Amino acid sequence: MGVYSARGNGDGLPVSAFSLYSYLSLSGLGLVLLYMLLTGSGEQFNVGEFLLTISPHMWSLLGIALCVGLSVGGAAWGIFITGASLVGGGVHAPRIVTKNLISIIFCEVVAIYGLIMAIVFTAKLEDVKDANVTSSEMYYKGFALFWAGLTTGLCNLVCGVSVGITGSSAALADSQDGQLFVKVLVIEIFGSIVGLFGLIVGLLVSGKV
Amino acid sequence: MEALFYNADDGYLEGIVRGYRSSILTNSAYINLTQCETLEDVKLQLSASDYGPILQNEPHMSTSMLSQKCTDKMVQEFEYIRAHAVAPLQQFLDYMTYAYMIDNVILLITGTLHERDTRELLDRCHPLGVFDSMPALCVATNVAELYNSVLVETPLAPYFKDCLSAEDLDEMNIEIIRNTLYKAYLEDFFSFSQTFGGPTAEIMAELLQFEADRRSLNITINSFGTELTKDDRAKLFPHIGRLYPEGNLKLAKADDVDQVKATCDVFLEYRQFFDSMSGATKTLEDRFFEYEVHLNKKSFQQQFHYAIFYSFLKLKEQEIRNIVWISECISQGQKERINNYIPIF
Amino acid sequence: MSGANNRLAVFPTRMTLSVMKQKLKGAQTGHSLLKRKSEALTKRFRDIVKKIDDAKRLMGKVMQVASFSLAEVTYITGDIGYQVQESVKNAQFRVRAKQENVSGVMLPVFESYQEGANANELTGLGRGGQQVQKCKDTYIKAVETLVELASLQTAFVILDEVIKLTNRRVNAIEHIIIPRYENTITHIISELDEQDREEFFRLKKVQGKKKQAAARDTLEREARQAEEAAQRSAGSGDAALTGKGSGHSADASGHSVAASGHSADASGHSVAGSDHTATASLSEPGDLLGGDDEDVIF
Repeated sequence: MGVYSARGNGDGLPVSAFSLYSYLSLSGLGLVLLYMLLTGSGEQFNVGEFLLTISPHMWSLLGIALCVGLSVGGAAWGIFITGASLVGGGVHAPRIVTKNLISIIFCEVVAIYGLIMAIVFTAKLEDVKDANVTSSEMYYKGFALFWAGLTTGLCNLVCGVSVGITGSSAALADSQDGQLFVKVLVIEIFGSIVGLFGLIVGLLVSGKV
Repeated sequence: MEALFYNADDGYLEGIVRGYRSSILTNSAYINLTQCETLEDVKLQLSASDYGPILQNEPHMSTSMLSQKCTDKMVQEFEYIRAHAVAPLQQFLDYMTYAYMIDNVILLITGTLHERDTRELLDRCHPLGVFDSMPALCVATNVAELYNSVLVETPLAPYFKDCLSAEDLDEMNIEIIRNTLYKAYLEDFFSFSQTFGGPTAEIMAELLQFEADRRSLNITINSFGTELTKDDRAKLFPHIGRLYPEGNLKLAKADDVDQVKATCDVFLEYRQFFDSMSGATKTLEDRFFEYEVHLNKKSFQQQFHYAIFYSFLKLKEQEIRNIVWISECISQGQKERINNYIPIF
Repeated sequence: MSGANNRLAVFPTRMTLSVMKQKLKGAQTGHSLLKRKSEALTKRFRDIVKKIDDAKRLMGKVMQVASFSLAEVTYITGDIGYQVQESVKNAQFRVRAKQENVSGVMLPVFESYQEGANANELTGLGRGGQQVQKCKDTYIKAVETLVELASLQTAFVILDEVIKLTNRRVNAIEHIIIPRYENTITHIISELDEQDREEFFRLKKVQGKKKQAAARDTLEREARQAEEAAQRSAGSGDAALTGKGSGHSADASGHSVAASGHSADASGHSVAGSDHTATASLSEPGDLLGGDDEDVIF
């Protein structure tokens, strides 16, 4: 067995790694900003104008991409969390594996929500002539699809993680005591409903398009 | 937050450990064990548990053999976990083995200073505290050489470097060296576990603080009436427990058990250790064990943290102690104290 | 030696008789002394047997407690055997041997005592130190019991041996030596009586002969006187002289027998002599332990 002189100083741990990355990117952004400001082109840094120059097509497609991407990410994350625990717990109690596939399915459902929403959003896409593309109606459509997709995507991401963590707990609880499975599953169902809220709001927001 | 990333590396192992945990003997199994008349009955009772396969091929039961086999089993499980672990869990597990390593190194130092047979020494080492370069320690011929090889070869080098010099190795009582090292180890492990944050830090803090306090209390009580001076005693107290600093200061000045009791009265959890000490069949050590088991059990209530690995090892150790105790009671025919074991689940 | 005829081959004389009587008295004194010694030893022996019994029971109990306290230590601190072994430099618990005199028998007595510092007082400092000390104390008690038991056992074996020896001597004196002396004495007395009677008879015979001779003498004298008176001639006393000569020779042969008897007596005396030393040594019976004088007795 490999034993090495191990004196942990805390580096390389997830939490501090993230703060390091965010610190780096923030300071990089600040440098660019400062550079533009000091080289006399500070007025180029106009957020409102920047947003308006983006095509509504871009907004709506971005919404669809975020919707399906975040949903699938959430589902995958959840499946991963559940799956790891399920495999570990299944070593000692093989009976839980089949039963706990339901947690995996719950996570999978989240991805399907995202997919459905993406399909719904795609149906609302239509090619618009150049002249009409900057009209306020088009802007409304673009923004609506973008935010509906983001809402659904974020909701599904969080929902997927939530279902994943609960599913992992369900698997481990089940491996200890078979009676606990149904009880934790109820909680898991509540978690998976959270994704539906996003789905509904997404439908409502994009419904007026 | 830890729930998001924990399972990526350690979810599988957590599941495994929880699986091991569910194979820890339950109270009803202990009740069955205490009903046994011979060690063969014990074997029969254990055959239904995880210990069944390892005892199957043993023709003659003895308590030492039982303890040996159970320890082997525990080590085997621990090694499995360690083999699958990645950093930082790997490092955490290594830290857990340092406690056994300290005992082994102390054993080797004692043996080498008395020029004993190396092979015999290595056989006696705890398997969890084994490290690759252990035989190298036995080569040393004098104290300075030994000290150097300890520094070079063992993962315990920082503790040695900070706490002891080559002369200390020669002059100090081996028990004091052991406790000095253990103190440094506990403090280091504590600060290491705190870098994780979240439930790991929280639960490990509780476990290690109790361990530190237990050591402080034990050292105080055991040093009454010995040559250990109060100053030396104070140096052996770990600086992480809940008793630190005020309680430790009081313990350092204590002259009898009553003063120790007064020190602990401030802490609700520790007060019970000294309640109705007289007349009760349970000794202070039993109460400590009980509380330790309680804390370790609690750490299984949370998910996504490393403390369950630590707790699992401690619970398993307690289980082995219980089994050996019960079988010892049976083989010696002292059934009246057979119920002194500490039920875990 | 056969049954009632068992006696020493001595020549029955009055001196031998008095010697024998002395020996018998010695044997009887020795017998009573030995008997008393054997009784004293047996009493002691019974005491020891009782004590051994108690000690063994106690040992069983103490050892059980001790090994259980070791189990307790193992429960709390784990295996500390090696550490305990290594931290000891000098034995703290020691045994001293003494000798005790019980009616002349030296019995070894072992005494335990403690010396030096407790080498293990810090063992288990961090965990279970009290149990370690408790275990140490119980084991000291156990070893004390063992030492006591050992001295009792040694005494038991030695006493057993000595009692057997003494009893054998007592029995030998009672059933062989004393009857033998008694037989010899009765034999000597009867022989002496026989001799007395023979002597008496011989004296009678001699007297008778002398009377006859005297009568003949008187007759002859009377005849001679008558003859002298008649013839007045002398020379007729030779017959008396020849009679006297034959009596002398018989006496001489008797003397030679007595001489041979004396040599037998001498050998008997040597036996008695060694016996005497045996009885003499009764005053300090410790010497009897040697056992090489058994042959002499038998």
